[in-house]
Amino acid sequence: MVTIAFKDLAKSTAAKRGMPNLRICFTPHPVWGKTDAEMYAYLEGDDPVTGKPLMKEVIGALTDPLVPDEEKSGTITPSVGPATFVDTQDNLQKYYMNNGMTDFMSIVIPTKEKVDAMLKGTSHDPEEVIGELTPARGSFPAWKFTVKQVAINAVMAGAQPEYLPIILAISASGLPSLSSSTNSFAVAAVINGPIRDKLNMNYGIGAMGPFSDVNASIGRAWTMLSRNLGNCGLPGETYMGTQGNVINFNNLIMPENEKDSPWTPFHVQKGFKPEENVVSVFFGYGIAQGQGGKGSAVKPVPQFDQGLLYNFTPLTSIFGALAVLDPLVAKDLVELGYDTKEKLYDWLQKNATLTVADAKTMLFTGGFSLRGPQGKDLKDDDLIPRWPNKEMINAVVVGGQTNPYYQVGNLSYARSVSIDKWA
Amino acid sequence: MNINRRKILSLLGASPALLAGSAQAAAHKKKNESEAAAPVDINTIKVEGLNPRGMPPSVQLAPMAPRLSTLDGKTIYLVSDGFPGADHFLDQIAIWFKKNMPSVTTVYRLKAGAFADDDPKLWAEIKAKGNGVIMAIGH
Repeated sequence: MVTIAFKDLAKSTAAKRGMPNLRICFTPHPVWGKTDAEMYAYLEGDDPVTGKPLMKEVIGALTDPLVPDEEKSGTITPSVGPATFVDTQDNLQKYYMNNGMTDFMSIVIPTKEKVDAMLKGTSHDPEEVIGELTPARGSFPAWKFTVKQVAINAVMAGAQPEYLPIILAISASGLPSLSSSTNSFAVAAVINGPIRDKLNMNYGIGAMGPFSDVNASIGRAWTMLSRNLGNCGLPGETYMGTQGNVINFNNLIMPENEKDSPWTPFHVQKGFKPEENVVSVFFGYGIAQGQGGKGSAVKPVPQFDQGLLYNFTPLTSIFGALAVLDPLVAKDLVELGYDTKEKLYDWLQKNATLTVADAKTMLFTGGFSLRGPQGKDLKDDDLIPRWPNKEMINAVVVGGQTNPYYQVGNLSYARSVSIDKWA
Repeated sequence: MNINRRKILSLLGASPALLAGSAQAAAHKKKNESEAAAPVDINTIKVEGLNPRGMPPSVQLAPMAPRLSTLDGKTIYLVSDGFPGADHFLDQIAIWFKKNMPSVTTVYRLKAGAFADDDPKLWAEIKAKGNGVIMAIGH
């Protein structure tokens, strides 16, 4: 039984798992949050899809004899359509968009010539299978994809061949930019290594804004390939984000400002060598501004540690925290005694707490279970850690030093992938 | 003053045909230049774009289990996948059966793991002790 909001999702998911004729009954939406009486009224009412009495339908689902289609076995190979599409440019723009292959903005039509040119950006065989993508692992069948298929999407996004290794590495991470969840998740990628300067990526003024074709097209390619290579982003079917997230247009692409940072680069923290080119991907809710907040006016050195704690307040514990700091903020934090990022993470984890009373009202309390042995003797005004360990907190230095500002993401680190491998 | 180009050419020893030829060449050149300058409507040209889609997995069809001839006297498992509200909703289904089909026995179970995780232990229990399943997915 499923609520009507998930009708298309339920039917397509059942079909993709070999049960196109699974007997599904629908209720009004939502069930969650309804009183017992309201839920019972659903049972006494009609299935909103068929208009038939719901419980009569449920009983019929269990007792009506099977029809021939329901008894079929065998294998079906789904089709993704023809290998190429031929038409005028205007018509092709509409065709790609109307068939769910774009981000609803004009694309670069991926002709054979453009794709061949794009493939010069990697030494890998175009037919090499890179990996799998899915809107939600375990809930949807994963699609496989090749180097060439990534290249096609990279062309569509307006990327250049020299950006392809970064895009291939992002695809190899297995993290799509469009998750199926009702939460409207966002993703971020931190880029480290000499490739940032080689490609003239923007990690200075406006780094996270529309000021670099490199940053922009790599981020756009991530969404393009998520739609097409993982079957992500089909509203009502593989995308249920109730409000959507503007970040999904071209995601948070953050080349770290290594030269102006007082700290170890992010990828080196994760065990890579400084000269390696690496992309580190994150997943969560999004990012919010922290400038001018608590602690920022304290003299002589602003208390940005207190400011970060303050900006952690609206974050949920189901995801970690990613502090995106202008180099000026990072340098001030060093003056406050945080000469390594790890010291900062340690302090933040210990001091980012919330009351048991507040935690009880939250849907997601992350790794701290109030019902577990650790929670049984707690009182409402006791403080518990927002995150169970400092590994859930990360920081990256990005910005052009026009002012000591920062942003805070409710984003968890997922994994780091070598870009050099895909060159 | 009117200039007689034919007379001038003739005085120069050039044939009038040359005049005609040069005029013709000039006209031809002007036509070519104007054609070269005229923009081509790109939307009259057809191009071939590649399909950007990846490779979905094959689907193995699973035939549905045979149906029960009746629910009377049967045991129906009510299974929640853990989505908020599913447990309370299934409670109401149990109440409905008690009220309307009292010979049906309902057994509530919460599936193990996350929403999409498999629970072979539960399926084995249902196969051994139950006759059917109503599963609340969400939400």
